[in-house]
Amino acid sequence: MIEAHGLTRRYGAKTAVDDVTFTVQPGKVTGFLGPNGAGKSTTMRLIVGLDHPTRGTVTVNGWRYDQHRAPMQEVGTLLDAKAVHTGRSAYNHLLAMAATHGIGRTRVREVIEMTGLEPVARKRVGGFSLGMAQRLGIASALLGDPHTLILDEPANGLDPEGVLWVRNLVRFFAGQGRTVFLSSHIMSEMALTADHIIVIGRGRVLADAPVADIVGRAGATTVRVCSPQATRLGELLAGPGVRIASSTPQWLEVTGRTAQAIGEVAAAARLVLHELTPVTGSLEDAYMALTQDCVEYQSTTTGLHPDHRGADLAPASTEGATR
Amino acid sequence: MSTSVMIPPTATPSQANPATGDIRLSFPRIVRSEWIKFRTLRSTVWTLGITVFLMVGIVTLFSAVVASQETGHDARGSSVFVFTLAADLAQLAVVVLGVLVITGEYSTGMIRSTLAAVPRRLPALWAKAVVLVAAIFVVSMVAVGLSVAVMQLFLGSKGLAPDLGDSQTVRILIGTALYLTAIALFAFAIGALLRHSAGALATVLGLLLVVPTLGVIPWRPLQLITPFLPGAAGSKILLPTQINAMSQGGVGAVLGPWQGYAVLLAWVAVLLTVAAVLLRRRNA
Repeated sequence: MIEAHGLTRRYGAKTAVDDVTFTVQPGKVTGFLGPNGAGKSTTMRLIVGLDHPTRGTVTVNGWRYDQHRAPMQEVGTLLDAKAVHTGRSAYNHLLAMAATHGIGRTRVREVIEMTGLEPVARKRVGGFSLGMAQRLGIASALLGDPHTLILDEPANGLDPEGVLWVRNLVRFFAGQGRTVFLSSHIMSEMALTADHIIVIGRGRVLADAPVADIVGRAGATTVRVCSPQATRLGELLAGPGVRIASSTPQWLEVTGRTAQAIGEVAAAARLVLHELTPVTGSLEDAYMALTQDCVEYQSTTTGLHPDHRGADLAPASTEGATR
Repeated sequence: MSTSVMIPPTATPSQANPATGDIRLSFPRIVRSEWIKFRTLRSTVWTLGITVFLMVGIVTLFSAVVASQETGHDARGSSVFVFTLAADLAQLAVVVLGVLVITGEYSTGMIRSTLAAVPRRLPALWAKAVVLVAAIFVVSMVAVGLSVAVMQLFLGSKGLAPDLGDSQTVRILIGTALYLTAIALFAFAIGALLRHSAGALATVLGLLLVVPTLGVIPWRPLQLITPFLPGAAGSKILLPTQINAMSQGGVGAVLGPWQGYAVLLAWVAVLLTVAAVLLRRRNA
């Protein structure tokens, strides 16, 4: 369990993490989402003490990370795949990391095998591809067989097989009652992997809820209707708060009415329905809706708005903020 | 890579439970970890090899030249002054190693892995220092031993080989290793402060080689400071007393062998303390 209370980190005038409070529960995979520069990596660095909070606290299983007797057994971290000396072989890197905690060679060989690094274990890390470096980072995180896993963009640079493997690994970890906290940019991957999502934007928590809630809350549940009498049905459904779009004859896209309500209206008017399909929004839609005001480096508006640091103080979209 | 066998996670973590032993941090274990890091880099092997090569090489050259000359011109103690020259050269390699041991971790990002494993941070710094000191001292002593053997070979018949029964000779021989060790630690401390290979190396070499030459400027405050510079002070330990006495009568203080060495150690202690404080405070 990871608990952050009022966690704040400033770098000069820039507030990277702004009064963030959340709990990452054991037995679940908790996804950490946010635009570039939102404070994800900083938050993760604060958890393992690579960075010191300006204010607030963060604990892992009740203790600050550096208070644990065996930090690597408590938390396995992958924050940066390139946090390895390029002149050392993967095996020697892991051996040195393991030695700090008295973890033996057997375990080192185990994690090498688990992450599929055997063919390159004796090669120097400098020549590794991002995918291999990523595997090495994961191997290092697993050395202590930790109760908590913190992975920053673990799927970055991995081949599809590797992505699947990471997903299975973290699901397995969570299934054993361990805590898993991972960030990712790949929204579809996150939707498949995570049980719970924390969305952060401009250093603030925008949402902290189960995946289904987040997706549902994006609201945009649309119902696709196909009827030979689409025009008539559209007239009947129209009303305040209801939006109806029709791109092709016989097809309607209705927002603001449930499938059930639409079906009942159609039945009452004795209209034929060929299809009635609720289309829930994707996690990606929900994420975009949550963070649209908070994207610091928005590609479409580049050059239009100079990045005002002071804008951090403006209330970010509070829609969906639970804390 | 993609063909590598990926063992399904159901067969993976915690089945073979590593927690059978006593898994936790301890200082001896951190030292062991730093020793593994130290010996598994090529730069270590190279710089230590060069240290030995430079020392033994200079001593061999000197011995061969002296041996070829007709007369053993001076007292036997004087042949040992070649170690001053040898140490002056060898310190270049030792300084590179001292700096790289710490800045190499910053330039590659390794430091984040190190500090994530040792979140209290200072034990990692001390462990690095312990490994560096032990390695440099042992290797320097080996180089000194080889050098003495070479001198014995070339100059033994002339009675010019170092006399191991002479206390000053022994002080100079051990002093050579002590000096190189302290200089390595000095470089290490500056590396820990600056966290940048090139910057730290330039600073250390500047302090050791360039700043002392400013002492020729006849400005009194400068001349008073010069004897207390790390290189000048520390190298007193491997200077024969007769040569040291020749600098008597100058403006600045003339430090004895152990006084000078103590000054170098004081430099190291102050710099390491500052480095330790900053390591605790700064973000990795």
